[in-house]
Amino acid sequence: MTVAEDIDVAADSPAKATRGLTRKGALYGVLSALMVVFCVVPFILVIVISFGRKVEGAAWVWGFSFENYQRFFVGTLWPDEVTFLYLQQLGYSFYFAIIASVLAVLTALPFTLLLTRLKRSTQAIWLVFILSSLSMSEVFIVMGWDILLSNNSGLPKLFQVTGTTQWLKDVGWFQSLRDIGLANPRNVKFKPSEFATILTMSYLVWPYAVILLYPALSRLDPSLSEAARTMGASRWTVTRTVTLPSIRLPLMGTTLLLFVFLLGSYVTISVFATPDKQTTAVAIYSNIRGSNLNAPFGSAQAVILLISASICLYFGHLLNRKAEAR
Amino acid sequence: MSGLILSGVSKTFGNTRAVEPTDLTFAKGQLTALLGPSGCGKTTLLRMIAGLENPTRGQIKLGDDDITDLPAHKRKFGMVFQSFALFPHYTVRENVAYSLIIGGMPKPTALEKAESLLATVQLNGFGDRRVGELSGGQRQRVAIARALAQEPQVFLLDEPMSALDAKLREDMQVELRLLQQRLGITTIVVTHDQREAMTMADTIVVMSNGRVEQVAPPQEIYHRPTNAFVADFIGKANFFDGLYKSGGVMIGSQALETPANFAPDSPVRLAIRPESACLAREPGQNRIPAVVGFVRDLGPVREYHLTTDIGPIIVEYAAGSDEQKLTAGDKTLVHLPADALRVYPRTAA
Repeated sequence: MTVAEDIDVAADSPAKATRGLTRKGALYGVLSALMVVFCVVPFILVIVISFGRKVEGAAWVWGFSFENYQRFFVGTLWPDEVTFLYLQQLGYSFYFAIIASVLAVLTALPFTLLLTRLKRSTQAIWLVFILSSLSMSEVFIVMGWDILLSNNSGLPKLFQVTGTTQWLKDVGWFQSLRDIGLANPRNVKFKPSEFATILTMSYLVWPYAVILLYPALSRLDPSLSEAARTMGASRWTVTRTVTLPSIRLPLMGTTLLLFVFLLGSYVTISVFATPDKQTTAVAIYSNIRGSNLNAPFGSAQAVILLISASICLYFGHLLNRKAEAR
Repeated sequence: MSGLILSGVSKTFGNTRAVEPTDLTFAKGQLTALLGPSGCGKTTLLRMIAGLENPTRGQIKLGDDDITDLPAHKRKFGMVFQSFALFPHYTVRENVAYSLIIGGMPKPTALEKAESLLATVQLNGFGDRRVGELSGGQRQRVAIARALAQEPQVFLLDEPMSALDAKLREDMQVELRLLQQRLGITTIVVTHDQREAMTMADTIVVMSNGRVEQVAPPQEIYHRPTNAFVADFIGKANFFDGLYKSGGVMIGSQALETPANFAPDSPVRLAIRPESACLAREPGQNRIPAVVGFVRDLGPVREYHLTTDIGPIIVEYAAGSDEQKLTAGDKTLVHLPADALRVYPRTAA
């Protein structure tokens, strides 16, 4: 390179640098725009629509009214009459999500603990299997459980054919099943029921529970529990005083994540829950796309569900911090 | 009570024999070091003693009691792990009081006792700290206090110094030994560091490939190793392979006199400690011509690395010795005294 060329290159450098910066800025701009369009705009739209108004016999119009929120909390007839139908639905959303997420974590925990004690190659096979099960959609899983629990072709039929139903009657347990709604006068009946709903919801998130718990449990130092054992702790004491406190944070995090995920569960509730125990997610769908066609109210329900989930996450976070501080 | 007795204890993992059938007696109140290279089975042996592994065969007795099948939590042998295994969710005091609390002692009493144990290991005032706030040495002291809290009959330590830096390790070796002597607990330490074993142990058990090679006090292990492995593993040694002839060993064309007695023409391995060999001026018995390769002055000792017809030899002098002062390239004679030469049978391997 000659001296003249050197000077040319030096003169070009600031221009090139500026061009590079501009290109970088443009790229960030496009990415930010995409984020806004695909994530923020729909979210803001839902919030804005939630203040709109349904026109009877027609669609809905933009507006700014708290009517939909008022309807959610105290019903449409307020102040003459107060109804808590939608709050009750929100309550069932929480009820099913809490029980199913806790059940999933409680059952996934011992399984994952055992999994981490297997050979690496065996662990890998199990993890691939569990990960692949995540690819199944909720519809597919619910369909499977629907068949399994159906009165004519599933477990109830099997109970009847194998004489289990008769045996349950003979030992007197059949009446107990009837008392909790899991049997009719002739045979066991698993759906619709809370049992089927919670079982299916737990099954739905169980692989997530394993995948989320696995990293924490595989990092758990086995010498901690061995140390406890040499100090006189039985297996249960080790679990209670060493293992569970050591994984407290991932345990709470996993439960919260599954809980939030299950709050929006739709297909399982539609298929397995009794009509009086439908949840907010189902109500949102029927308002936005279903028979009601009341998008503003559906949006208000969605916003409330979102805020409720956020509050739960916040309290979970506070609990975690408190636990960490201890 | 006569301490801890292992009779024919062995351990097999799948097709791998981790510990060959082993007979050992750990005398009451003594500190025994299980010493050997990585993978020699010393930790497996310790874990079997602790009840964390079941022996494939054999019997473990504590005094007259057979404890072979007794689970770890019923043996209550205090154990310090290589990683210290302190519970991160408890404070230092709660860690030390753990065995007392789960053993049913009222919590205030247990915490009070923990505080006095912390004083024993010179950690007064550290009780409220979290484990993460401690240095390596402090963690080790907490692990020791925690293991001692339940007043164990046997105290086990698995490579307790390996996570510490060299200076701290030396200090802790002495401190641990003093503590053990004060408390008089039967103690078993696993280590791969011969210096650590020599510093702390009353008895050293040298292991290799799952087998016990020698059991003896440190000085005997050093000065009278029973085989070439022990001679090589403990301290430094010069080795020469040769054939036994009556009254001596032929190494190539060089004859060396030794007091050992083997069948004629047996393949043997000779060993001599660097400090047992010396430089010589006059020719004589077991004196070999040598050329100084280089001189390594380490302060307390000076090493002469020599080249000879029978192979390289290191001769070591303590600082202040009045040996010939040689430099690289100088010609000399090296004397290998017959009574300092150890002779071992040499297998084909």
